[in-house]
Parts: sequence; C-alpha cells; structure tokens
Amino acid sequence: MFSTSSQRKFWTFGDENELVCLREKHNLQFILKHGVHIDEYQRYNFFLTPDEERLLLKQYELHLKEFCKRFNPPMPKGVVGTAFHYFKRFYLYNSSMDYHPKEILATCVYLACKVEEFNVSIGQFVANIKGDREKASDIILNNELLLMQQLNYHLTIHNPFRPVEGFLIDIKTRCTLANPERLRGGIDEFLEKVFLTDACLLYAPSQIALAAVLHAASKEQENLDSYVTEMLFRDAGPDKLAILIEAVRKIRSMVKMVESPARERVRIIEKKLDRCRNQENNPDSEIYKRRMREALDEDDLPYTSSNNRMSLDTSGISQVSNS
Amino acid sequence: MDSDVTNYSVVGRIGEGAHGLVFKARHLPTGREVALKKILIKNLEDGIPVNVMREIKALQLLRCKYIIKLYDMFPRGMSLVLVLEYMCSGLWEMLHHSQQELTLPRVKAYAQMLLKGTRYMHAHYVMHRDLKPANLLINHEGILKIADLGLARLYWPDGGRPYSHQVATRWYRAPELLYGARYYTEKVDLWALGCIIAEMITKQPLFSGESDIEQLAIVLQHLGTPTEESWPGHKDLPDYHKITFPESSPTPWLELLPGVEPDAVHLVKSFIMYDDNKRISAKEALRHQWFQNRPLPASLEDMPKPTPNKSK
Repeated sequence: MFSTSSQRKFWTFGDENELVCLREKHNLQFILKHGVHIDEYQRYNFFLTPDEERLLLKQYELHLKEFCKRFNPPMPKGVVGTAFHYFKRFYLYNSSMDYHPKEILATCVYLACKVEEFNVSIGQFVANIKGDREKASDIILNNELLLMQQLNYHLTIHNPFRPVEGFLIDIKTRCTLANPERLRGGIDEFLEKVFLTDACLLYAPSQIALAAVLHAASKEQENLDSYVTEMLFRDAGPDKLAILIEAVRKIRSMVKMVESPARERVRIIEKKLDRCRNQENNPDSEIYKRRMREALDEDDLPYTSSNNRMSLDTSGISQVSNS
Repeated sequence: MDSDVTNYSVVGRIGEGAHGLVFKARHLPTGREVALKKILIKNLEDGIPVNVMREIKALQLLRCKYIIKLYDMFPRGMSLVLVLEYMCSGLWEMLHHSQQELTLPRVKAYAQMLLKGTRYMHAHYVMHRDLKPANLLINHEGILKIADLGLARLYWPDGGRPYSHQVATRWYRAPELLYGARYYTEKVDLWALGCIIAEMITKQPLFSGESDIEQLAIVLQHLGTPTEESWPGHKDLPDYHKITFPESSPTPWLELLPGVEPDAVHLVKSFIMYDDNKRISAKEALRHQWFQNRPLPASLEDMPKPTPNKSK
C-alpha cells in the first residue's frame, strides 16, 4: 500500500525546489569538506557545479536505462523502475563527486534485482558489464551495504506498472473506449521516459500511471477526460480532482521536456570528475586499496564476555572511513 | 541515521543463524532488550543474501503484535546488523522442554495469537512459507510472535509468477510443495497452521517424514490417495509422475488425533486439505467453534512467562 509506505512518507517531496536544495546542499558539503585549500572564487574550476552534477547524473540515468534494456536474461520492468528510484534517492543525499555514478548505477540495479526477486547471481550480473568483471563485482558488493544504508533501508518501491494494469482493467469494464489494449505502446513509451525525470520523487505511482494512460489515449486521438471526472473522481470532490489534474499536467510536461545532455558537455564534466572525485572512494586509488586490504585482514573477533562492547566489532572499515 | 553499535551493550550470544551470530543486547538509551542479528557479508558470494532482503522488506511492512518487530539496522564493518525484538523462548522449546505447561486453554491462546499474526500477514499479501514451532517465538509476557521471515515474500492475489518450491521445513510443508509446485499461494501457510495446532494439542508432530518422499507418503497414507475431486489439478504438478504411491483410503481423523475433542479435530481438518482453495483462512479459523468452547483460551495473565535462562 503506497499510502502507508516509506516511499510516501520519506521519499515523496513537495516540489522540485526541495530536490534542487537537497542536491545543492550535498554539492556544497562535499566542496567544503574537500576544498578548503581552494580559493572560493576558483572552486568551481576544480569541482563540479550543481548544474554539472545534474547533467552528469542525467547522462547516467540514460546509461542505466540502456544497461537494463540490454540485460540478459531480459529484466522485468519492475526491476528497472526500482533501480531508477534507488539511483535518484542516493544522489539526493550524496554528491556524484563522492561516489562515482557508474559504480552506484550498477549497485542500484543489482540491489533492485534482489529486492524485486529477479534472481541473478553476481556472476550472471557482471557478465552484462564491459571490462574487468571481477573488479566490477568487487565494486558492486562493496557498495551494496552503503547503498542500503543511504536508502535508509527503505527497499520496497511502489512503481507505476501495477496501477497501470489496474486502470486498464477498470477502463475495460467501465468505459466505452474500444480496444484499450492499444494504449499499451504509448503507456510503455511514456513510463520509460518518466524515469528520466524527477516525477517519481514528486508524485504517487498511481498519478504517474494515470498520466501515462491519458497520454497514450491522446496519442490514439481518444479522450478519457470523462472517465477521470465522472468515474474515477465522481465522489472525490472538486479539490481532489484539481490536484490530480495539476499532477497529471505536470508529469506530462516533465516527460515532454526530457532531452539527452550534450555529449561534449558530459565529456568535459567526466574529465573534471576524474580529478575532483573523492579518491578514498575510487577503487583505482591507493588509499582505497589499502582500506580494503585492512578490512579483509581483520578477522571476525569471537565473542568473549569480558569484551562485551567489542564483540560486534569485526572490521576496521567504518573506523577508517570516519577518520 | 545515528544508530550504531555504541548504543548497544551486548549481554550474550543467543544463537547462530544461517548467516551469522545472534546476540542479546541492551539498547542503552531506552534500556530495551533486543536481539542483534549480525549478517556477515564478506564471505557471501552474492553479497547480502536475498533472504535477508526479504526479511527486511517483510518486517518493515508488517506491524502487528503477533509478528516480531524490526527496530533498526546498521552496518558494522563488513556486516549488517538487524536489531530485532528480543524473545526469550519459543514454541519449539515449549513443545520439547515444558510440555506440561501446554494446557488446552494455553494451546488455544497460542493458536489464536498465531492465527492473528497470520491473518495480518495475509491481509498484507505476505506469505511466510516457513511456519513451524521453531519460528514462533514467545516473549517474557507470554506473547507468541511469528519470526524468521527469511522466506516470506509478497504475493499478488492474481498469481502468475512462479516461486521456488524449496521452502518450508518438511514436516509443515503443504503437499503441493512436496509435489514441486511453482505456482502456489499463501495457503501453504494454512497447511502449516493445521500441523502446528495439531502438534500443540497432541505434543506430537502431525506428519513427521524422514525424507521428502516419506513425508509425501505419510500425508497420502493418512489423507488417502488424492482424487480429481479432493485435489483438482494435482496430476499436473511437476513431480507428480516422478513417483507413485500405493492406493490408500483415508485414515479416520480420530485415529490420527486420538482422544482429541471433535471441534479441535474439525479445525485441524479444515486446514489439512489437499485442495488449497478449501483450506480455512486464518480469519475464518479465528471464528471457529473450538475457541468458543470450554475451556476457553487462557488470558495473557495465565500464559507461561518464560525466563531468559530457559532460552535456547
């Protein structure tokens, strides 16, 4: 039930401005932590600006979409939707300079596979990744716990796919629209794009689903307005209807505005990121490798009653990263 | 996210789960006793086990007096620690070490708590898939709670997705699972409920096979060879043709549950049906005559209060 979910309570935001503020805050936090030695007027020559971070993440959302599309075995839509939610949530509270989006992207998809019960082993998973697969699997498994923590362990995602099915059944039984199944093409196309926007951080899955259905209907030169006003919202009162109409309008306009970032721009940002990213979280850096070695060298301490507080203390990873 | 291990003082080790140790601890800010279930990740091939994800998802969704609570979680080095409600005993311990405590009124009270927990789970479209005495824990107040939701998963009432049939501990496993069904429903839990309630009454497991095949043989021997009427579609189950059993007619329930009052037999029988559509739901079972008959279910004051030193 979405109405009682953590998604509604913690991950549905009031407006786009709130999202912008959160992202700017974590951009600035990173810079304040890592850029004390850089003159304030020069800082954005070295670090990414909030806008650059946005553009970069938009590019990686496109990569996420492509990765899932090509995934073998074919991935259910729910996994893709959940991975998108995780990715967006992660970067509301973290800067891409702290954690590289290509690493978080893969971890989000891997976690989504598990949570949505699409069972693939890590071996099968990284077979879909180009390059060094062993390294990829290390990165994913090392990041999994971090990702869960950053999601505040809110793993359950309510995607718009099930409400879409509900609307289609309802339209078939209560509406005179001929052959509602022909709406599917338009709906799928719309939902694919909607995940490239912030809509899922702002609206309920059923609102997004309805926007998709209405969009698909208008593409088919059909009009479902009376279905919405006279059937869905007949007893709901004009306020609720007005809220819904505004939500649908906004979601549709967000989808209309989706565009791919300019390739050259992204290339420059990526280069900048290579220099300004947090080396502690860069799997190729010496500091990262040393930290991993230390974590592995520490053995699980057995429980001893004289050593109560320490018995859960099994590895140095958290202490090192805090220092 | 200020939760971390410094908020807890570990009191002792209480067990070893599939993925790591379980500790008893005190949450220092509140003084609350908790169980810390530590899942060691670095040795696990595929990272955090799917079972752990399932348990987290299920426990976050379910908030019921008769289902164990997940208070919090935090990473600890390469481990994930789940902070769970501390339960000092369980139904398994009661059945094996304190049978004399299990009087009929108390059995009825435990059965009610179990049914209420299951009713709640099923109302939230979660099936547990591994209900058994060892997963039913009892706290110091005497309240029974459903635990170990590592196999629990969400299901959709319209079905349509195959699930693993390697679920549920053998003695409590529904016959469709024994025949390798991949499409099954929350009603596998109802079969287990029947087994557990019968076991609480007689202090003996209802069907105790030593192997999966023997388990099936025992069930078939007692309920009789299934027919298309008693179990529609059973011939289409994946493993149906892999093994044949001698024809048998049903054993009378009075033989299966000797000395058990007719209303109790009727309730157990209503769960132990081949056809999962005919099994009584947890919600209906709570209205069963057995609970209205004397002796009435014990009140919470009259329930045994386990003490930690009796725990496993």
